[in-house]
Amino acid sequence: MFDVTNGEISKALVTLTIEKTLLNMGKPVLDEVTHRLFANYKCFIPDCHEHPEYLKSVLKELYGNCYGNIVESIKKNLDEFATKKSIEHFLMVISE
Amino acid sequence: MQANIEKSQTKKYLLLSILCIGFIMMIANFVGQEVTTLTTNLLYVPVPGMLVVLSIIIAARFSLKGKHGRAWILFVGFAVSWFTAEQIWLVYDLVYQIDPFPSLADFFYLAGYPFLFLFSIYYLKPLKSTISKKTLTYVSLAAMTLLIPSLYMASGQDSQIDDFELALALIYPIADAIILIPALIGVILFFRGEVNFLWSLICVAIILNVVADTGFLITSMDGSYYMGHPIDMLFLWAYILFSFGVYSHIQIFKKHSPNIKSQSLDDLR
Repeated sequence: MFDVTNGEISKALVTLTIEKTLLNMGKPVLDEVTHRLFANYKCFIPDCHEHPEYLKSVLKELYGNCYGNIVESIKKNLDEFATKKSIEHFLMVISE
Repeated sequence: MQANIEKSQTKKYLLLSILCIGFIMMIANFVGQEVTTLTTNLLYVPVPGMLVVLSIIIAARFSLKGKHGRAWILFVGFAVSWFTAEQIWLVYDLVYQIDPFPSLADFFYLAGYPFLFLFSIYYLKPLKSTISKKTLTYVSLAAMTLLIPSLYMASGQDSQIDDFELALALIYPIADAIILIPALIGVILFFRGEVNFLWSLICVAIILNVVADTGFLITSMDGSYYMGHPIDMLFLWAYILFSFGVYSHIQIFKKHSPNIKSQSLDDLR
């Protein structure tokens, strides 16, 4: 049996949503974001759950001020889970 | 750091390419009419050809999937259409030595416009929240301002041309005005600092092409146009800007080692 905590579920949800949103734009976009996260912060997409500011900064680097639309898309996909505290925090930081 | 060096190098090569084209055309114009015609026609092989190659590379990188993938396949459609048109023009002008207007080249030029328009819509879609109704209104007015005199000039062509030729001459300014709208929006976003210069190169290229088309119309009207006229330099520069715009996207979305991705998934497990 797996012992999964609420935090791990949130992390998985956030990771899958980010990956799905970026894949929707194209695989090279997901690859580039993954690469820049690692190059700039030595972190991976699942770490964005704790550090949404890293993802925000990478998206801003790639798309300038219009990264907002990607953030909107991530928010839309995570909307139904927004009541979970850690997801709420993630959404709050990323949309600031 | 690496990305910044690449960006400044790309800008240097862009400037160099623009200067090279200008220099070649200037020298050709000094030498004589025949050399100018030959040189300009021949420049229309590698310059648009490079755009086709680069657009195929970026479309292949996105494997035709996702929003970006669909946008780039439209761009390939545009690049191939205009490349074909340029080659047909070259054959008519250099080989058969007859006026290429109207010809099959016009069909391919016009076929390129819907591809380019749809591409620019896809291209600007991620920026839609930053585009206000006011911007859209001003930009549409600017396009109309260009369209009305262009239509007036095109319809005032000599009476020797038939209805089909007149219709063709009128379609170009209309198509130009339509593609000018998203292009101007792209450039405004650049000046507002929403996107960087290399992102907006494709929009600058569209504007330059519209300017060149209008110049072509004016010079054709007063009979001063010849193959290799300085107006052709603008067309070639537009192709160069398109190519560098595509190249900058190839640079941004370059292939990376798959190790990072698998580590990312391992981290979740």
